[in-house]
Amino acid sequence: MADTLNVISICGSLRKGSFNAALQRALPGFAPDDMKISAAPPWASFPIYNADDQNTTGFPAAVMTLVEAIRVADGVIFVTPEYNYSIPGGLKNAIDWVSRVQNQPLKDKPVAIQSATGGPMGGARMQYHIRAAMVFLNALTFNTPEIFVGSAQTKFDDKLELKDETTIKFVKQQLVGFAAFIRKVSGKG
Amino acid sequence: MADSALDVLVICGSLRKGSFNAALARALPEFAPSGLALRYAAPLGDIPPYNADVQDAGNPPSVVALTDAIRSADGLIIVSPEYNWSIPGVLKNAIDWVSKVKNQPFHGKPVALQSCATGLLGGSRMQYHLRQALTSIEAQILIRPEVFVTFAAKKFDDKTLELTDQPTKDMVKLQLEAYEKFLGRCTAKH
Repeated sequence: MADTLNVISICGSLRKGSFNAALQRALPGFAPDDMKISAAPPWASFPIYNADDQNTTGFPAAVMTLVEAIRVADGVIFVTPEYNYSIPGGLKNAIDWVSRVQNQPLKDKPVAIQSATGGPMGGARMQYHIRAAMVFLNALTFNTPEIFVGSAQTKFDDKLELKDETTIKFVKQQLVGFAAFIRKVSGKG
Repeated sequence: MADSALDVLVICGSLRKGSFNAALARALPEFAPSGLALRYAAPLGDIPPYNADVQDAGNPPSVVALTDAIRSADGLIIVSPEYNWSIPGVLKNAIDWVSKVKNQPFHGKPVALQSCATGLLGGSRMQYHLRQALTSIEAQILIRPEVFVTFAAKKFDDKTLELTDQPTKDMVKLQLEAYEKFLGRCTAKH
Protein backbone atom coordinates (compact mmCIF):
# COMPACT_ATOMS: atom_id res chain seq x y z
CA MET A 1 0.00 0.00 0.00
CA ALA A 2 1.19 3.46 -0.86
CA ASP A 3 1.87 6.05 1.80
CA THR A 4 -1.05 7.51 3.69
CA LEU A 5 -2.38 10.79 2.35
CA ASN A 6 -2.72 13.47 5.00
CA VAL A 7 -5.62 15.74 4.23
CA ILE A 8 -6.94 18.65 6.26
CA SER A 9 -10.51 19.90 6.33
CA ILE A 10 -11.42 23.57 6.71
CA CYS A 11 -14.93 24.41 7.90
CA GLY A 12 -16.53 27.67 6.78
CA SER A 13 -18.92 27.99 9.72
CA LEU A 14 -18.16 28.91 13.31
CA ARG A 15 -21.59 27.96 14.65
CA LYS A 16 -21.55 25.07 17.12
CA GLY A 17 -24.63 23.41 15.62
CA SER A 18 -23.39 23.81 12.06
CA PHE A 19 -24.29 21.03 9.61
CA ASN A 20 -21.02 21.71 7.83
CA ALA A 21 -19.04 21.26 11.02
CA ALA A 22 -20.99 18.03 11.56
CA LEU A 23 -20.12 16.87 8.04
CA GLN A 24 -16.50 17.80 8.64
CA ARG A 25 -16.44 15.73 11.84
CA ALA A 26 -17.89 12.76 9.97
CA LEU A 27 -15.31 12.75 7.18
CA PRO A 28 -12.59 10.64 8.84
CA GLY A 29 -15.10 7.82 9.15
CA PHE A 30 -15.85 7.91 5.42
CA ALA A 31 -12.29 8.26 4.15
CA PRO A 32 -10.62 5.42 2.28
CA ASP A 33 -7.95 3.43 4.16
CA ASP A 34 -5.11 5.36 2.58
CA MET A 35 -6.39 8.79 3.56
CA LYS A 36 -6.25 10.43 6.96
CA ILE A 37 -8.43 13.51 7.41
CA SER A 38 -7.99 15.92 10.29
CA ALA A 39 -9.47 19.32 11.06
CA ALA A 40 -7.29 22.28 10.04
CA PRO A 41 -6.13 24.79 12.66
CA PRO A 42 -8.97 27.28 13.25
CA TRP A 43 -9.35 30.64 11.53
CA ALA A 44 -11.91 32.04 13.99
CA SER A 45 -9.38 34.37 15.60
CA PHE A 46 -8.08 35.86 12.34
CA PRO A 47 -8.42 39.63 12.25
CA ILE A 48 -10.12 41.19 9.26
CA TYR A 49 -7.57 41.48 6.46
CA ASN A 50 -5.68 44.74 6.23
CA ALA A 51 -2.61 44.96 4.01
CA ASP A 52 -1.20 47.72 6.24
CA ASP A 53 -1.27 45.40 9.26
CA GLN A 54 0.39 42.70 7.20
CA ASN A 55 3.15 45.13 6.20
CA THR A 56 3.73 46.55 9.69
CA THR A 57 3.16 43.77 12.20
CA GLY A 58 3.39 40.82 9.82
CA PHE A 59 1.11 37.84 9.53
CA PRO A 60 -0.78 36.89 12.71
CA ALA A 61 0.47 33.67 14.30
CA ALA A 62 -2.88 31.94 13.73
CA VAL A 63 -2.62 32.70 10.01
CA MET A 64 0.86 31.19 9.82
CA THR A 65 -0.31 28.10 11.69
CA LEU A 66 -2.98 27.51 9.06
CA VAL A 67 -0.55 28.31 6.25
CA GLU A 68 1.93 25.72 7.51
CA ALA A 69 -0.81 23.13 7.95
CA ILE A 70 -1.90 23.65 4.34
CA ARG A 71 1.69 23.56 3.16
CA VAL A 72 2.41 20.14 4.66
CA ALA A 73 -0.98 18.61 3.83
CA ASP A 74 -1.41 16.42 0.78
CA GLY A 75 -4.78 17.99 0.16
CA VAL A 76 -7.40 20.36 1.54
CA ILE A 77 -11.15 19.85 1.81
CA PHE A 78 -13.38 22.89 2.28
CA VAL A 79 -16.63 22.05 4.05
CA THR A 80 -18.67 25.20 4.16
CA PRO A 81 -22.10 26.76 4.13
CA GLU A 82 -23.25 29.30 1.58
CA TYR A 83 -23.92 32.80 2.89
CA ASN A 84 -25.89 35.12 0.64
CA TYR A 85 -25.30 33.03 -2.49
CA SER A 86 -21.53 33.18 -2.01
CA ILE A 87 -18.55 32.29 0.18
CA PRO A 88 -18.95 33.06 3.91
CA GLY A 89 -17.02 36.26 4.60
CA GLY A 90 -15.16 34.71 7.51
CA LEU A 91 -13.83 31.88 5.36
CA LYS A 92 -13.03 34.25 2.50
CA ASN A 93 -11.13 36.45 4.94
CA ALA A 94 -9.09 33.41 5.99
CA ILE A 95 -8.38 32.52 2.36
CA ASP A 96 -7.42 36.16 1.65
CA TRP A 97 -4.87 36.14 4.49
CA VAL A 98 -3.40 32.80 3.46
CA SER A 99 -3.17 33.93 -0.16
CA ARG A 100 -0.91 36.86 0.71
CA VAL A 101 1.89 34.77 2.21
CA GLN A 102 5.01 34.44 0.12
CA ASN A 103 4.81 31.16 -1.82
CA GLN A 104 1.15 30.94 -0.90
CA PRO A 105 0.42 27.35 0.05
CA LEU A 106 -2.67 26.73 -2.08
CA LYS A 107 -0.61 26.79 -5.27
CA ASP A 108 -0.65 23.29 -6.78
CA LYS A 109 -2.51 22.03 -3.71
CA PRO A 110 -5.26 19.47 -4.35
CA VAL A 111 -8.55 20.91 -3.07
CA ALA A 112 -12.00 19.35 -2.73
CA ILE A 113 -15.19 21.19 -1.81
CA GLN A 114 -18.28 20.09 0.11
CA SER A 115 -21.24 22.07 1.37
CA ALA A 116 -24.40 21.56 3.34
CA THR A 117 -27.33 23.98 3.40
CA GLY A 118 -30.87 24.06 4.64
CA GLY A 119 -32.16 24.89 1.17
CA PRO A 120 -32.44 22.65 -1.89
CA MET A 121 -29.33 23.83 -3.77
CA GLY A 122 -26.85 22.61 -1.23
CA GLY A 123 -24.40 25.49 -1.55
CA ALA A 124 -23.73 25.23 -5.29
CA ARG A 125 -23.58 28.99 -5.79
CA MET A 126 -20.95 29.26 -3.08
CA GLN A 127 -18.90 26.38 -4.48
CA TYR A 128 -18.49 27.99 -7.91
CA HIS A 129 -17.24 31.17 -6.24
CA ILE A 130 -14.65 29.18 -4.27
CA ARG A 131 -13.64 27.48 -7.49
CA ALA A 132 -13.01 30.92 -9.03
CA ALA A 133 -10.82 31.92 -6.10
CA MET A 134 -8.94 28.63 -6.41
CA VAL A 135 -8.28 29.34 -10.10
CA PHE A 136 -6.55 32.56 -9.19
CA LEU A 137 -4.56 30.77 -6.49
CA ASN A 138 -3.57 28.00 -8.87
CA ALA A 139 -4.95 25.31 -6.61
CA LEU A 140 -5.78 21.97 -8.19
CA THR A 141 -9.49 21.74 -7.54
CA PHE A 142 -11.08 18.30 -7.74
CA ASN A 143 -13.98 18.14 -10.20
CA THR A 144 -16.60 15.42 -9.68
CA PRO A 145 -18.37 13.99 -7.82
CA GLU A 146 -19.43 17.26 -6.23
CA ILE A 147 -20.95 17.20 -2.76
CA PHE A 148 -24.03 19.39 -2.31
CA VAL A 149 -25.94 18.39 0.81
CA GLY A 150 -29.30 20.11 0.31
CA SER A 151 -32.10 20.14 2.90
CA ALA A 152 -29.43 19.29 5.45
CA GLN A 153 -31.84 19.24 8.39
CA THR A 154 -33.34 16.04 6.94
CA LYS A 155 -29.96 14.33 6.59
CA PHE A 156 -28.49 14.70 10.04
CA ASP A 157 -30.09 13.39 13.21
CA ASP A 158 -30.68 15.24 16.47
CA LYS A 159 -27.09 14.60 17.51
CA LEU A 160 -25.87 16.02 14.20
CA GLU A 161 -24.78 12.60 12.94
CA LEU A 162 -24.98 12.19 9.17
CA LYS A 163 -27.64 9.55 8.57
CA ASP A 164 -28.60 9.91 4.92
CA GLU A 165 -27.31 6.88 2.99
CA THR A 166 -27.24 8.62 -0.39
CA THR A 167 -25.20 11.48 1.00
CA ILE A 168 -22.80 9.07 2.68
CA LYS A 169 -22.37 7.18 -0.58
CA PHE A 170 -21.49 10.37 -2.48
CA VAL A 171 -19.13 11.58 0.20
CA LYS A 172 -17.29 8.24 0.16
CA GLN A 173 -17.12 8.37 -3.64
CA GLN A 174 -15.70 11.86 -3.57
CA LEU A 175 -13.06 10.93 -1.01
CA VAL A 176 -11.98 7.89 -3.02
CA GLY A 177 -11.83 10.04 -6.14
CA PHE A 178 -9.96 12.76 -4.30
CA ALA A 179 -7.36 10.25 -3.04
CA ALA A 180 -6.73 9.05 -6.59
CA PHE A 181 -6.62 12.65 -7.82
CA ILE A 182 -4.04 13.60 -5.19
CA ARG A 183 -1.86 10.66 -6.16
CA LYS A 184 -2.13 11.53 -9.83
CA VAL A 185 -1.38 15.24 -9.57
CA SER A 186 1.26 15.00 -6.86
CA GLY A 187 3.07 11.99 -8.29
CA LYS A 188 2.63 10.16 -4.96
CA GLY A 189 2.37 6.60 -6.16
CA MET B 1 -37.46 67.58 -8.79
CA ALA B 2 -35.81 66.55 -5.56
CA ASP B 3 -36.57 68.91 -2.73
CA SER B 4 -33.73 67.57 -0.64
CA ALA B 5 -30.55 65.71 -1.42
CA LEU B 6 -30.57 61.93 -1.40
CA ASP B 7 -28.54 60.47 1.42
CA VAL B 8 -25.99 57.98 0.11
CA LEU B 9 -23.71 55.82 2.22
CA VAL B 10 -20.35 54.88 0.69
CA ILE B 11 -18.85 51.57 1.83
CA CYS B 12 -15.24 50.69 1.02
CA GLY B 13 -14.09 47.06 0.75
CA SER B 14 -10.43 47.76 1.54
CA LEU B 15 -8.85 48.76 4.86
CA ARG B 16 -5.47 49.69 3.41
CA LYS B 17 -4.56 53.37 3.77
CA GLY B 18 -3.09 53.57 0.29
CA SER B 19 -6.02 51.73 -1.28
CA PHE B 20 -7.04 52.87 -4.77
CA ASN B 21 -10.61 52.01 -3.87
CA ALA B 22 -10.52 54.19 -0.78
CA ALA B 23 -9.01 56.95 -2.97
CA LEU B 24 -11.86 56.57 -5.45
CA ALA B 25 -14.40 56.65 -2.62
CA ARG B 26 -12.88 59.89 -1.34
CA ALA B 27 -13.05 61.42 -4.82
CA LEU B 28 -16.75 60.72 -5.35
CA PRO B 29 -18.21 63.96 -3.94
CA GLU B 30 -16.36 65.91 -6.63
CA PHE B 31 -18.18 63.96 -9.34
CA ALA B 32 -21.56 63.54 -7.69
CA PRO B 33 -24.53 65.56 -8.92
CA SER B 34 -25.92 68.08 -6.45
CA GLY B 35 -28.86 65.83 -5.64
CA LEU B 36 -26.63 63.29 -3.90
CA ALA B 37 -25.18 63.86 -0.42
CA LEU B 38 -22.46 61.32 0.28
CA ARG B 39 -21.30 60.08 3.66
CA TYR B 40 -18.95 57.27 4.60
CA ALA B 41 -19.43 54.08 6.55
CA ALA B 42 -16.87 53.35 9.27
CA PRO B 43 -14.06 51.01 8.16
CA LEU B 44 -15.16 47.37 8.32
CA GLY B 45 -12.15 46.07 10.24
CA ASP B 46 -13.83 46.04 13.65
CA ILE B 47 -16.45 43.51 12.60
CA PRO B 48 -15.34 40.04 13.75
CA PRO B 49 -15.68 36.94 11.57
CA TYR B 50 -19.36 36.02 11.47
CA ASN B 51 -20.56 33.53 14.04
CA ALA B 52 -24.28 32.84 14.32
CA ASP B 53 -23.88 31.81 17.98
CA VAL B 54 -22.36 35.20 18.77
CA GLN B 55 -25.10 36.97 16.83
CA ASP B 56 -27.77 35.08 18.79
CA ALA B 57 -26.31 36.65 21.94
CA GLY B 58 -26.36 40.13 20.39
CA ASN B 59 -24.80 41.94 17.46
CA PRO B 60 -21.40 43.59 18.06
CA PRO B 61 -21.61 47.42 18.20
CA SER B 62 -19.75 47.68 14.89
CA VAL B 63 -22.48 45.60 13.23
CA VAL B 64 -25.25 47.64 14.82
CA ALA B 65 -23.59 50.86 13.63
CA LEU B 66 -23.24 49.61 10.06
CA THR B 67 -26.79 48.27 10.04
CA ASP B 68 -28.17 51.61 11.22
CA ALA B 69 -26.04 53.53 8.73
CA ILE B 70 -27.37 51.37 5.88
CA ARG B 71 -30.95 51.48 7.11
CA SER B 72 -31.03 55.26 7.34
CA ALA B 73 -29.46 55.83 3.91
CA ASP B 74 -31.47 56.27 0.73
CA GLY B 75 -28.86 54.27 -1.14
CA LEU B 76 -25.41 52.71 -1.06
CA ILE B 77 -22.31 52.91 -3.19
CA ILE B 78 -19.92 50.02 -2.62
CA VAL B 79 -16.35 50.67 -3.75
CA SER B 80 -14.23 47.58 -3.41
CA PRO B 81 -11.16 45.77 -4.64
CA GLU B 82 -11.21 42.20 -5.86
CA TYR B 83 -9.40 39.64 -3.70
CA ASN B 84 -8.63 36.29 -5.25
CA TRP B 85 -11.18 36.77 -8.04
CA SER B 86 -14.01 37.37 -5.61
CA ILE B 87 -15.41 39.63 -2.90
CA PRO B 88 -12.89 40.61 -0.18
CA GLY B 89 -13.62 38.68 2.99
CA VAL B 90 -13.54 42.07 4.70
CA LEU B 91 -16.62 43.22 2.79
CA LYS B 92 -18.41 39.90 2.52
CA ASN B 93 -18.15 39.31 6.25
CA ALA B 94 -19.73 42.70 6.96
CA ILE B 95 -22.54 41.99 4.50
CA ASP B 96 -23.09 38.55 6.07
CA TRP B 97 -23.54 40.06 9.54
CA VAL B 98 -25.87 42.82 8.41
CA SER B 99 -27.87 40.44 6.22
CA LYS B 100 -28.74 38.34 9.26
CA VAL B 101 -30.12 41.23 11.31
CA LYS B 102 -33.87 41.31 11.79
CA ASN B 103 -35.50 43.28 8.94
CA GLN B 104 -32.15 43.30 7.20
CA PRO B 105 -31.62 46.73 5.65
CA PHE B 106 -30.35 45.70 2.19
CA HIS B 107 -33.87 44.70 1.19
CA GLY B 108 -35.00 47.13 -1.49
CA LYS B 109 -31.94 49.35 -1.01
CA PRO B 110 -30.57 50.90 -4.21
CA VAL B 111 -26.89 50.02 -4.62
CA ALA B 112 -24.23 51.10 -7.11
CA LEU B 113 -20.93 49.24 -7.46
CA GLN B 114 -17.44 50.46 -8.33
CA SER B 115 -14.08 48.76 -8.26
CA CYS B 116 -10.44 49.54 -8.92
CA ALA B 117 -7.84 46.92 -9.66
CA THR B 118 -4.33 47.05 -10.96
CA GLY B 119 -5.05 44.42 -13.61
CA LEU B 120 -6.96 44.61 -16.86
CA LEU B 121 -10.37 43.43 -15.62
CA GLY B 122 -10.81 46.16 -13.03
CA GLY B 123 -12.47 44.00 -10.40
CA SER B 124 -15.27 42.76 -12.65
CA ARG B 125 -15.11 39.20 -11.30
CA MET B 126 -15.66 40.60 -7.82
CA GLN B 127 -18.55 42.78 -8.97
CA TYR B 128 -20.47 39.87 -10.51
CA HIS B 129 -20.00 37.83 -7.34
CA LEU B 130 -21.21 40.82 -5.35
CA ARG B 131 -24.23 41.25 -7.61
CA GLN B 132 -25.12 37.62 -6.91
CA ALA B 133 -24.77 38.12 -3.14
CA LEU B 134 -26.82 41.32 -3.24
CA THR B 135 -29.49 39.49 -5.21
CA SER B 136 -29.88 37.03 -2.36
CA ILE B 137 -30.64 39.88 0.03
CA GLU B 138 -32.85 41.68 -2.49
CA ALA B 139 -30.94 44.89 -2.90
CA GLN B 140 -31.86 47.01 -5.93
CA ILE B 141 -28.68 47.05 -7.99
CA LEU B 142 -27.96 49.74 -10.55
CA ILE B 143 -27.27 47.89 -13.78
CA ARG B 144 -25.34 50.41 -15.91
CA PRO B 145 -23.11 52.29 -16.33
CA GLU B 146 -20.65 49.97 -14.61
CA VAL B 147 -17.47 51.39 -13.11
CA PHE B 148 -14.38 49.23 -13.52
CA VAL B 149 -11.15 51.14 -12.96
CA THR B 150 -8.54 49.00 -14.70
CA PHE B 151 -4.76 49.43 -14.32
CA ALA B 152 -5.52 51.60 -11.31
CA ALA B 153 -1.88 52.43 -10.61
CA LYS B 154 -1.85 54.54 -13.78
CA LYS B 155 -5.01 56.43 -12.95
CA PHE B 156 -4.22 57.89 -9.56
CA ASP B 157 -1.39 60.24 -8.61
CA ASP B 158 1.56 58.33 -7.14
CA LYS B 159 1.86 60.54 -4.11
CA THR B 160 -1.51 62.11 -3.40
CA LEU B 161 -3.66 59.21 -4.65
CA GLU B 162 -5.81 61.77 -6.41
CA LEU B 163 -7.80 60.43 -9.34
CA THR B 164 -6.14 61.96 -12.40
CA ASP B 165 -7.46 59.93 -15.33
CA GLN B 166 -10.07 61.90 -17.29
CA PRO B 167 -11.90 58.94 -18.90
CA THR B 168 -12.27 57.40 -15.44
CA LYS B 169 -13.63 60.66 -14.06
CA ASP B 170 -16.13 60.81 -16.91
CA MET B 171 -17.21 57.21 -16.32
CA VAL B 172 -17.70 57.81 -12.60
CA LYS B 173 -19.66 60.99 -13.25
CA LEU B 174 -21.94 59.21 -15.71
CA GLN B 175 -22.63 56.47 -13.22
CA LEU B 176 -23.40 58.87 -10.40
CA GLU B 177 -25.83 60.79 -12.63
CA ALA B 178 -27.56 57.56 -13.59
CA TYR B 179 -27.56 56.48 -9.96
CA GLU B 180 -29.21 59.73 -8.89
CA LYS B 181 -32.07 59.07 -11.33
CA PHE B 182 -32.27 55.42 -10.26
CA LEU B 183 -32.37 56.44 -6.60
CA GLY B 184 -35.04 58.98 -7.31
CA ARG B 185 -37.19 56.30 -8.91
CA CYS B 186 -36.49 53.72 -6.20
CA THR B 187 -37.21 56.05 -3.31
CA ALA B 188 -39.99 57.97 -5.07
CA LYS B 189 -38.53 61.22 -3.74
CA HIS B 190 -39.52 63.21 -6.78
